[in-house]
Amino acid sequence: MRILILASFLIVLVLFLTTQMPVILTAEQVSQSVSDAIAELQVAVDEDEMERAVQLSVAKLEHAQRNRLKYLASAYFIIWLVFMLYVLRLARHYYVLDKRLVQLEQASAHDEK
Amino acid sequence: MKIVAILTALLLFISLYLIFAYAPIERTMLEVQKIFYFHVSAALTVFLAFGVNFVLSITYLIKRRTEHDMVASAAAELGLVFCTIALLSGPIWARYAWNTWWNWEPRLTSTLILWLMYVGYFILRSTLSGDKRKLYSAVLGIIAYLDVPIVYYAVDIWHGGLHPERDTKWNLEQPMQWTWMVSLAAFIMLFSLLLILRYQMKKNEARYEAIQQHYLEKAR
Repeated sequence: MRILILASFLIVLVLFLTTQMPVILTAEQVSQSVSDAIAELQVAVDEDEMERAVQLSVAKLEHAQRNRLKYLASAYFIIWLVFMLYVLRLARHYYVLDKRLVQLEQASAHDEK
Repeated sequence: MKIVAILTALLLFISLYLIFAYAPIERTMLEVQKIFYFHVSAALTVFLAFGVNFVLSITYLIKRRTEHDMVASAAAELGLVFCTIALLSGPIWARYAWNTWWNWEPRLTSTLILWLMYVGYFILRSTLSGDKRKLYSAVLGIIAYLDVPIVYYAVDIWHGGLHPERDTKWNLEQPMQWTWMVSLAAFIMLFSLLLILRYQMKKNEARYEAIQQHYLEKAR
């Protein structure tokens, strides 16, 4: 039972980490791409100002996304945790009850003899 | 039982795959909206679980069969677990969407009342024994269920709540709709599996109590 719970947690974690990874664009890549576009368009732009603006916007976007993923991960973790605690409690209860029943039935059979 | 377990595991796996790999990211809430699939499914499973409790409580009052009481209490216990999940995952979503962990709006408040009523159901069961326990908990199960339609129609009854309208979940984009339906099916299967398991455990508990009683009478 414990292995099953651990496996389910690992599946959720792997799925979460592998499938929901955003396409990561670094500030440098965006900056380079914008510089190339400006060069192609042949317009006059302050390159330093532009780079600062790009870096700030990328940082803000990344921070917002990290924040959203934290909410998502916490919600699924709590759901998993509640189920895990309930199933563990059931498993323990089941084990104790089964043991007591066997003991009681054995004692009863012994008495009848 | 084995088939139900395999089917449940399979459906849960598929639903997780659909949530994280297939369903598109919603435009307003972005990744956080993915909480919806398990949160709403858990909330609807609560209605099913308490519905089973309601029906079996009525049949217990009519036929007075112990099995009906066993299934009713097992369903109420599972309803409480699913309700806890809905009540705990909701505030995380609310913190992002409404900028608050909790709000005394109609649906949230009525859901908390529902949860408290079924906590009361188990407190009552733990304080009584024998036929009295079965009878009183069946009556309380019927009364507590009256809150379920209030929770479901809370948005329509008291306009101005923060929850979206009831029809929202049916007006989703097709991939989101499919993902939600599979998640709901997975939760219903999980509920069925746990209900069977819990019922079997309750039967064992009754058997244990009967043997114990037999011993006590013999000792006297």
